[in-house]
Amino acid sequence: MSAPAVAHRVVASAPVVAVAGALLLTTLVMLVVGVDPALAYPALVRGAVLDGNLEYTVAAFVPTLGMALAFALPLRAGEFNLGGDGQLAAGGVTAAAVALLVPLPPGAAVVLPLIAGAVAGGLVAVVAAPLSTRLGIPAIVSTLLISAPAVSLASYLVRFPLAEPNTGIAQTPPLPDAAHLPALGGSGYLTIGLPLIAALTALWLYADGRTVLGYEIRATGQNREFARYGGVRVGRVAALALAGGGAFAGLSGALIVLGPPHRFVDGALTAPGYTFTAVAAVLLASARPVVVPLTVALLTFLQVGGQGMEREAGVPSQLTQIVQGLIIVIVAVLATLRARRPR
Amino acid sequence: MYAAELVGVTKRFGPVLANDGIDLAVARGEVHAVVGENGAGKSTLMSILYGLHRPDAGEVRRDGHRVVLRSPTDAIRHGLGMVHQRFRLFPGLTVAENIVIGAEPVRKGRLDRAAANEAVAALSERYGLRADPSALVGGLPVGVRQRVEILRALYRHAEVLILDEPTAVLTPGETERLFEVLRTVAATGVSILLVTHKLSEVLAVGDRVTVLRQGRVTGRFTTSETDADELVNAMIGRSLTPPVRRRAHAPAGDPLLEVRDLTVRDADGVARLSEVSFTVRPGEIVGLAGVAGSGQRELIDSVTGLRGAVPEVLLTGTPVKAGRDPRVAYVPEDRHGRATAPAMSVAENVLMGAQRDLASRWALPRAKVRARARDLVDRFSISAASVDVPIGALSGGNAQKAVLARELTRPSTVVVAEEPTQGVDVGVRERVHDLLRAARDEGAAVLLQSSELSELRDLADRILVLYEGRVVAEFPGDATEKELGRAMTGATG
Ligand SMILES: Nc1ncnc2c1ncn2[C@@H]1O[C@H](COP(=O)(O)OP(=O)(O)OP(=O)(O)O)[C@@H](O)[C@H]1O
Ligand SMILES: [Mg+2]
Repeated sequence: MSAPAVAHRVVASAPVVAVAGALLLTTLVMLVVGVDPALAYPALVRGAVLDGNLEYTVAAFVPTLGMALAFALPLRAGEFNLGGDGQLAAGGVTAAAVALLVPLPPGAAVVLPLIAGAVAGGLVAVVAAPLSTRLGIPAIVSTLLISAPAVSLASYLVRFPLAEPNTGIAQTPPLPDAAHLPALGGSGYLTIGLPLIAALTALWLYADGRTVLGYEIRATGQNREFARYGGVRVGRVAALALAGGGAFAGLSGALIVLGPPHRFVDGALTAPGYTFTAVAAVLLASARPVVVPLTVALLTFLQVGGQGMEREAGVPSQLTQIVQGLIIVIVAVLATLRARRPR
Repeated sequence: MYAAELVGVTKRFGPVLANDGIDLAVARGEVHAVVGENGAGKSTLMSILYGLHRPDAGEVRRDGHRVVLRSPTDAIRHGLGMVHQRFRLFPGLTVAENIVIGAEPVRKGRLDRAAANEAVAALSERYGLRADPSALVGGLPVGVRQRVEILRALYRHAEVLILDEPTAVLTPGETERLFEVLRTVAATGVSILLVTHKLSEVLAVGDRVTVLRQGRVTGRFTTSETDADELVNAMIGRSLTPPVRRRAHAPAGDPLLEVRDLTVRDADGVARLSEVSFTVRPGEIVGLAGVAGSGQRELIDSVTGLRGAVPEVLLTGTPVKAGRDPRVAYVPEDRHGRATAPAMSVAENVLMGAQRDLASRWALPRAKVRARARDLVDRFSISAASVDVPIGALSGGNAQKAVLARELTRPSTVVVAEEPTQGVDVGVRERVHDLLRAARDEGAAVLLQSSELSELRDLADRILVLYEGRVVAEFPGDATEKELGRAMTGATG
C-alpha cells in the first residue's frame, strides 16, 4: 500500500474518527454549558502530563491496562467479561489477606500475594464458564451477576475480619514493608507493576497471534461451531479465556493494593472506574489487540486529565466520562455503518 | 423495453477484476439464468443489481430508466428483490411476521396480525406458494423458508427477483417445486434472475441464459436452442471429459468404518436414527441418499465423533473418539456455519485441525502457517488474492475447494463428504470427484452424502437409502434414479 493510502486508512480508521468525534461533541457541550474550551483543554493536558502529573497518569495506566487485558482476552474467545470489578476486588482483597496473614520472606512477600490475587480473580471469572456452557447464561450476564457479590464480599472482609482495629475506617492495616512493590527509581507512584504489566501485555500479544492456544481462542471467538468441528474443545478454551481474563483483573487488584498507599481501602479499587475505561479502550481498539495499549494510554490520559480540568477550570470530571461514553457510541455506530455500507 | 438492465458494469476488488464491462438485460416475465465458473463474477453482478455493491463503472436500468442503487433499500424501492443463499429470516417470528417485517400493516400503532396473516395468505394463494402464515419459521424445512423469502420479496412488490444459487440447499423434490413456483411467478410478469451451477436446471427452467467467465460475458443463449455441451464450452472453454465410472479392482480388506446397530435419540427421546448398521471398506465409496432430515445429520455427527464417543461406531476396529476423531476427514455441507470461520484468513481456515502438528511446542510460526496454506492453494488451484484474505471474500466454489484441500490432506483413513460439490462449478465438480476417487484409490473408506442422485451414481460403489432414521434399502452404484427416488420416499418393493 502507498504512503498516502496508509495515511488515509489511519485517519479514516474507527478509533481516530471516534476520538475526534467525541472531542468535537465534548467541545460543543462545553460551549453549551459555558465552559471555555480554551481554558479547559490546556487544563486537561496539564492535569495529565505537566506539573509532575505524568507520573500519576502512568501509575493509573497500569491497572487500566490490566483491566483492558481482562476484557480483551475473553473477548477474543467471544466471551464478554463485564465482571471486572468483582475480579479486581477479589484479587485485591486476597493479595492483602495473604500479605497480612502469611509471614513470608522478602521477595516471596511480593510475589505470592500477586499470584494469589491473580488466582482469586481467575476463580471469580471462571464461575461464569459453567453457567454459560451448562445453563446457557451468556458470560456477558453471568460475569456481571457474579461481580456485585464479589465486590460486596471484599467489602465485608475489609470491614470486619481484615479491618484495621479501632479506626472505624473500612480499610486494612498497612501491609508489611516486605510486601510493598519495589518503586521504580525513587518514584512515589511508579512501581515494578509497570514493567510487569508491559511484559504481560507483550506475552498476551505473542500468545494471541503466534501460539496454538491463541489460534484456538480466536477460532472459538470467530465461529464456535467451526472450532468445535475442527476438534477444539471450545468449552474448555472459553473457560480458560475467562479465567485468564479474571487473572489479569485479579492481578491488577493485587498491584493496586501492594502499591502506595499499601493497603486495601474499601472502594478504592472500583471507584476510579478502571473497568469501564478499560472496556471503552478495548472497544475503541476494535478487535486489533496491538492497538489496545495505545487506546488505554489515551483514555487514561483523558481520565486523569479530566481531574486536573475539574481542579483548574471547574469543569466537572464527569465530562471525561461523557467523552468515553461518546467514544463507545461512535465506535458502535461506525461498526454498524460499515456492516451496512455498499462496497 | 427490458425490466432490468446492467450496462457496461465493471467492479474491482483490489487487484481482482470481478466484473469487466458486463451487459445483461432481462425482459418482463422472463426467467434468465446466469451461469459461470466459481469466481466468474455472478454474485458480484447480482449484488450490484441489488444495491449491495456499487459498480466502479457502468449503470443499472429499470424499465429503461437509469437508477442509482446505494443500498438494498433503494433496490427494493425500485422493485428489485433478492433471495439470499443464507436466509435472512427471524426463526422466532411467524411466516407472516417475517414477510411483512419492515412494511407491516399497523392498527392503532401496533402490528395488525390478522391483516398480516390475511395479506400473506392472499399472496401465497396468488402465486401458488404454499406456506402457513402463522407457523414459526424456526421449525420449517429449508425449502419452505426459501418460499418465505420469495414471498417477502413479492410482498414488497418486487418486479425483478434475484435468486443466487437457490437450489444448492434444496433436495431434488424441493428444487422441482421451486421451479414450479418460479414459472408461476414469471407468468405474472415478474422477471427472474437465477444463478446456478446446475446446467440441467438452466435448461429446465430458463428462457435465456448468460454465461460469464472471468468477469466477462462469453455467451448468450436461448435455452431452447442450446445444450449442456455448448454451455460448458462457453463457461470453461473446453468440454468435460466423461467420468471414468468404476475402477478395476474391488474394495478389499477389513472395514475401516463400521456402524453397528446405531440408534440416536434427540433431547425429547424421539429416535432420529434406528438400528443403523453398515460398513465401508478400504477403497470403497458408499453413498448416502435420502430426503433432508432423514437422519443424515445424526449419522454423520456420530461417525465423525462430533456427537461424542459413540461405541457403535468403529474406525479401524476401535470406537470413534469424542470431539473430532483425527482418523476422519470431514467435508461439512454448512460452509459458513461449520466448515469455515468466514472472517478468518484463508491460511487460518485451512490450518484448522493441523495446528498442533505444525507447532513446535506451543509456538505456531506464522511463516509456516502461510507457507502451508500457499502450498494447498497451489495444489488445489484455489483462486484467492492471497492466503491472508478472509475466506469469506472468496467465491463460493473457491471456499469449498479450500475446505476440501484442508480435509483431503489430513492423514486420515476415513473420508466423510457431505454435499461436496454444493455451489461449485462443473469444472471444479469434476476435480472434486477426481479427488474423492483418488482418496478411494489410495485405500480410504469414503462415505458420501449427497442430495444429487447423479453424483451418487457417478461415484458410489454402493448406495444406502435413509428414510426416517433407518437404512431402508441398499443399491449397487448403478441403480437408476427412479429406483433410488422411490426408496427415498419410503416406498417399499
Ligand atoms: N468482497 C470481496 N472482496 C474481495 N474480493 C471479492 C469480494 N467479493 C468477490 N470477490 C472476488 O471477486 C471474484 C468474483 O466473485 P463472485 O463471488 O462474484 O463469483 P461467483 O461467480 O459468484 O462465484 P461462485 O460460483 O463461486 O459463487 C472472485 O475472485 C472473488 O474472490
Ligand atoms: Mg457466488
